[in-house]
Amino acid sequence: MTEQAIAASATPRPGAGSRKLRQAERVGSAIFVGMLRGSCWLFLLIVLGLAAELIWGARLSLRKFGIGFLWSTQWNPVTEQFGAAPFIYGTVVTSVIALALAAIVGVMAAIYLAEFAPRRVGAYLGLLIELLAAVPSIVYGLWGLFVLAPIVANWIGPALQSVLGFLPFFQGTIYGVNVLTAAFILTLMIIPTITAITRDLIVAIPMRFREAALALGATPWEMAVKVVLPSVRRGIIGASMLAFGRALGETIAATMVIGNRPVISASLFAPGYTIASVIANEFTEATSDLYLSALIELGLILLVVSILVIGMGRLMVRLLIR
Amino acid sequence: MDIENSPRAGMWLARVAVPAPGASALPPVQPEAVAPAAAEVRVKVDIRDVDFFYGKTQALKNINMSLRDRRVTAFIGPSGCGKSTLLRIVNRIYELYPNQTATGEVLVDGQNILASTFDLNAVRSKIGMVFQRPTPFPMSIYDNIAFGIRLYEKLPTSEMDNRVESALRRTALWDEVKDKLRQSGLSLSGGQQQRLCIARAIAVQPEVLLLDEPASALDPISTQRIEELIAELRPDYCIVIVTHNMQQAARCSDYTAFMYLGELIEFDETERMFTHPREKRTEDYITGRFG
Repeated sequence: MTEQAIAASATPRPGAGSRKLRQAERVGSAIFVGMLRGSCWLFLLIVLGLAAELIWGARLSLRKFGIGFLWSTQWNPVTEQFGAAPFIYGTVVTSVIALALAAIVGVMAAIYLAEFAPRRVGAYLGLLIELLAAVPSIVYGLWGLFVLAPIVANWIGPALQSVLGFLPFFQGTIYGVNVLTAAFILTLMIIPTITAITRDLIVAIPMRFREAALALGATPWEMAVKVVLPSVRRGIIGASMLAFGRALGETIAATMVIGNRPVISASLFAPGYTIASVIANEFTEATSDLYLSALIELGLILLVVSILVIGMGRLMVRLLIR
Repeated sequence: MDIENSPRAGMWLARVAVPAPGASALPPVQPEAVAPAAAEVRVKVDIRDVDFFYGKTQALKNINMSLRDRRVTAFIGPSGCGKSTLLRIVNRIYELYPNQTATGEVLVDGQNILASTFDLNAVRSKIGMVFQRPTPFPMSIYDNIAFGIRLYEKLPTSEMDNRVESALRRTALWDEVKDKLRQSGLSLSGGQQQRLCIARAIAVQPEVLLLDEPASALDPISTQRIEELIAELRPDYCIVIVTHNMQQAARCSDYTAFMYLGELIEFDETERMFTHPREKRTEDYITGRFG
């Protein structure tokens, strides 16, 4: 409004004497903008090239199984019958459970770190949580296999079964390596992403909003939940999508604890398989072209699922937050 | 809470003490100095011997001041003189920052809110505060107003609607927003946002309103509206406004406190202060010789 008018009227008019300089400047800025634009288009090219390569690699499988590949539960390398359903199921279920748990714990941790922890405690704990993001996934996998899996089999599993055993998700034999253990491991792995981003967002909120809430008589708790948290909900959804993307694609840790059995069972205590795991496990053993092609098609599906997830996240942000 | 029953009941009738030239401390208000004519303007907030520290740095030195009900008191002074700091003591909002400490007494209706045993949230609901820059919460216009009410009262929808409407009407915002109450408070202009914040503050029916340079981030027209609003609200509240605009202080306050380097230099009726300041420093400041 008025500010723009002032800014417009105050724009200096360069003198005619500096024409040469301006020419050079124009060329320079054209090159610079060109580079910026180029780096963006590069990403598009990479994604498109990736998709094209995957489609090309998967052409045998695409031709043979068609769209039915998506819901076929067959996975038999001997008879060369391939279907993606168990892997899609395993991937989505472990990632959704992981995201739900990680979002709750991660956001709560972020609120504590940013709003309630003494400054020094907050700084050290924050550093620790960020360090968790740097732990290699193979280490998570080892820990999951030797520590978490027995705990799930002997403690968490039976406890859940005794309380929620009426639900199909918590029935049947409790294995150590199962969908639930994989979900727990993924939870641990994506919490740092959610916590670190959410904490940074919360810290960036100007103090005057907190003061305004407190001045109205809100307790620090009410301030955090009713004012601070809504201010960052858009960012939390973004962080969650980032974390979800990581959970979907996480390979080695999931492979080590999920049991690697291409079945769909309602029970979370049963072994399962994820897309990334099956690709990693069977790529070197894929003896026939069709087998290999089916694995590449799984990769294509993973890419599409990931893109859909990001898209859904965007849509959610737009629908929830006007 | 009733002032009549408080041990300090006599205090609020006291005439404002004026510091001796050069003295760093104000003498405490003398109960004998009761002026009968002042009875109608009772003291709402009595600030007594208040010192304030940012870490080890003393920002306020022995402040004594009485803020009267149904009157507007302006704090003026150059930047960094402690006027905002003093305001922030009255609702203890400074406590959000661990290294800030205040000593002394701030009596609101005779109760010392600086006492650590005091129910802070209850007193804050009685003391509204508006900040230099607007602070609309990331929620609808309606929910912004209802926010403070919901913290303490559970009202049926129709009654809540009435409260929201009356708060918006008092701040002359109703006609501008009545058709978009469900839109985000952030969608309003700066001036509207600031009036929304004032509406939110008065919606909880406070008794004291603290305004910390409420118009300094606004354009002249919005500033004028805020000043009109202060005049409109004056009959019902004890209003304190921090400003570094002396004309604003002269226009909209009954009493003015001039602060300098953490000290209360002079505190008097605004008219008197701006025509016959007692202190040389006050005169220099209001005539623009420094600051």
